[in-house]
This record gives sequence, C-alpha cells and structure tokens, in this order.
Amino acid sequence: MAKLVLSLNGSVLGNYFLEKERFSIGRKPACDIQINDQGVSKEHAIILTVGNDQILEDLDSTNGTQINGQGTKRQILQNGDVIEVGRYRLKYVNQKAMPDMDFDKTLMIPAFDRTKLSVDGAEKTGEDTASISTAVANARNVKTVFPLGVVRGIGGTVMGREIELVRAITPLGKPGGSAIISRRPGGYYITYVAGKKHPVVNGKSIGEAPVALDNLDQIEVGSDKLQFYLK
Amino acid sequence: MKLKHALTVSCASDAGLVRNFNEDSVVADDDFGLVVLADGMGGYKAGDVASGMATMIIGNELKEKFAKGVGKSNGVDLETELLRDAVTRANQAIYHAAHNKSQFQGMGTTVVITLFRDNVVTIAHAGDSRLYRLREDKLQQLTTDHSLLQEQVQLGLISAEDARVSHNRNLVTRALGVSQAIAVDIRQERALPGDIYLLCSDGLNDMVDDADIELAMVAIKENIPLLVQQLVIMANDNGGHDNISVAAIKIEKPFPLRTSFFARWFGAAA
Repeated sequence: MAKLVLSLNGSVLGNYFLEKERFSIGRKPACDIQINDQGVSKEHAIILTVGNDQILEDLDSTNGTQINGQGTKRQILQNGDVIEVGRYRLKYVNQKAMPDMDFDKTLMIPAFDRTKLSVDGAEKTGEDTASISTAVANARNVKTVFPLGVVRGIGGTVMGREIELVRAITPLGKPGGSAIISRRPGGYYITYVAGKKHPVVNGKSIGEAPVALDNLDQIEVGSDKLQFYLK
Repeated sequence: MKLKHALTVSCASDAGLVRNFNEDSVVADDDFGLVVLADGMGGYKAGDVASGMATMIIGNELKEKFAKGVGKSNGVDLETELLRDAVTRANQAIYHAAHNKSQFQGMGTTVVITLFRDNVVTIAHAGDSRLYRLREDKLQQLTTDHSLLQEQVQLGLISAEDARVSHNRNLVTRALGVSQAIAVDIRQERALPGDIYLLCSDGLNDMVDDADIELAMVAIKENIPLLVQQLVIMANDNGGHDNISVAAIKIEKPFPLRTSFFARWFGAAA
C-alpha cells in the first residue's frame, strides 16, 4: 500500500495511506490531507490512482507543487519522490512503484470508470495517438562497459569518412544494407545481411553468423574498406 | 491461393532472460498469408495454454475455410467476418477451458492477426500485442493497445512520453478467454510491395524503443529471417524482462486474388 509521509522542517507530522482513487491535498477541511497554511491553496493538488499508477496533479494552486525540486502540473509518482506543497513535504513511499523495470505478470483489468476521474467535472482532452512509447527508460542504450567503437573509411566510396557506432545497429554498404554492425553488451559484432558478397574481416570472408570485432580489424563490405577501432 | 511467391514471412519467439518459460505463441503460414501472434497470461503455465489455443484455433479455423473455398469477397467485408468468427471461436474455447478446469482458471491471451489477401491486409487485435508497418523507411504502429496505459494517455491523465515511467505496462483491458464475448478491433489496409509488417508481443516494444525497431527494419529489410532474430537479440540485450515474440512479413510482389484475362494481356490491374 502506498503512503505519504508528511513532514515540516524535517519532523514527521503523519502518515497517510492512498486508499482512495482521488486523494486530495489542500487547506480545506474536506481534503484528505488538510494543511492549514497560507502557502497552501484550498484545493492544492490531488493524487489519482489508476491501476498501479499514482498520478499527482496540481490543481492550479497559487504557489504550485514541486516533485524533487521541479515544478510539475501532472506526474506519475515513483517510490521515494518528495512532493513539496508550500513549506511542507510529502514523501511518497510505494515499493511497487520503482522507476525502473517492474515487469509484473500481465493482468487483465476492466477499462476504468472515467467519470470517477474527472477533475471538477472538467473534460480532459487526451492525446488520441496510436503510438505510445512503452519502452522502458533504459531501452534505448545498451549498457556497455567498453569504449565507443568507430569505423573509418580507408577505401572505396567511404574513404575518409568516420562513423561512430553509437546506436544498437549501424548499417554498412548499399541501402538496404549488405552488413550491419551491432552494438551489444559484450562488444561489437558484424553480421552479413544481403548481397552476393559476404563481408570480409581481416582478409577472411564471414559466413551467416555474427563475428565479434576487435580493435583495428579491417573490414570490407562490397567495394568499401573500413577499419574498426575503439576510442 | 498460394502466397509464398509474394510474401516473405519469418517469426521467432524467445522466453527472454527473466522468465522461465515462454507463454507467447506464434503461427505463420505463408501459403495462406496468415500470421497469428498471442501473449498468454495467468496461472502456472496456463498462459501458455491460452496463447497456444488462440493461435491454433484461429489458424485452423481460417485454413479450413480457405481450403473449402471462401471465394471472392462479398463486398469488402469477407475477411473481416472470417477473422471476427475465428477470434470469437477462440475466445469461447479459452473461456470454457478456463471455467471448466481449475488449473486454467483466470487464463487469457492477447492476440494480433494479419491476413494478406487480394493486395489487402486485414488486421485484427485484442490486448497489447502490436502490429507495426515499415513503409518507405518509416515505422508506423497500426494497432492501438487495449491497455490501461493507452487509456491513461487518451484521457490526458499522462502524456505519451510519461508512459515510459508508468507502472501499468502489464495491465491489458481486453483479452481472449476472460469473458463470454470479445470485442476485437478489425481494420483493413492496402498492402504495397516493399512494405514490412511486424507483429510483436510487448516483450519487444517494452524493451526496444520504436526508433531502434525502425533502425533495425531499415537496415535489415533485405533479410527478414535475420531481422526477426536481431529484434529478439536487441530485446534481450536491453534486459529481456518478458517473453519476446516477433513475426515479420515483407510484401515482395502484388498478390491480387485473380488476374483477369485482359489484365494478363495488357498488364493492367483487373
């Protein structure tokens, strides 16, 4: 169960469990956490619970709401976040809301009742987009512990060019690629993709399987000659 | 109608690095131009049963109907109806199995289907398994997830970018086998030579950014079996937290249902 730990100047004033779908913070007595302070608006902020997410929303408060020192209008809370409302702090504690991976098993839930979530009857206009990026924050960069790889053109149409191998895949050769260099946790690999001629590494033609690249390896793809090195 | 000459089809399914077993199922048939991918859930290995039932029942149902001969479209909706019937049948079978056997209680599965026929792809899906298309080197998602995350974004509760830090990525709002009726989204798109269609379970798109999926598809479009393997490798390299299933279909040539006498002589589309 998620909770908020309310504190002022480092002394804890209380613990509040987020048991309601719509949990309110403000100066009004009807709020789930009432903070009687002039720096806090009557209805300052709410926390909506949607599935496993708890979303903090500032209700256009006079002095605003900060999370970890940054002003915010609406944000999904992560375990350990510190919410600041006026001079008061609310620490969000929820072991299930870790910012990185939390792949629980897939579950089926009914679509939620949207009327419960409307804020003061206001109609929300969301992004009607098919594509949402669900990829986790670290999905983009393969974690590597080795230096950045580079290929330098030493012959053919790529003569003199330098390509930094920053992305997961770098195509080589003609469009459509006759080879790729992939950046993987264990290092860089070259793989044949298509075309009559397989890539050549240090004078030896490679087959279908990926071949690990070592510093200063010489690569031929089509008529292009390249040298691989680690920065 | 054999489509082998017009389509290149390849698929792969992997347990990933964290899960002990694979609850995804994929069936691909390049004769019929049919690919079915399902991501099962619930109970000890019951998810595997649910996704296996979905791909088998849908695959067999459609193949039987085609073997009998479904003929020319009665309007444009023949394929739509075929897919709806097949998904409905699979849903009922999984629902009954889940209710009649205690070890299957609570099982369900997502599904995404592509049926290629007469230069058109008919797309059906329920849950958060996806279909993407690469056309002119641009990646586009053709399905909209039936997930809480998607609803949160559509309602404006969170932004599309915030989806990355949501804890709701595992919550689907539709699945086969969960209730007696299933709402399935079906649409049709013209399939063009050069298009690559990519079906995947969330083990791919939760681990590999869309930009990197696009990068791989563009770089490896001349080798579809390698593309599929590479996408699985990329998901595992980024952590492999879930089962990863991928199927890719490349349109090599047009595939009209019939070529008329005149079209054959004059080279025009019938």
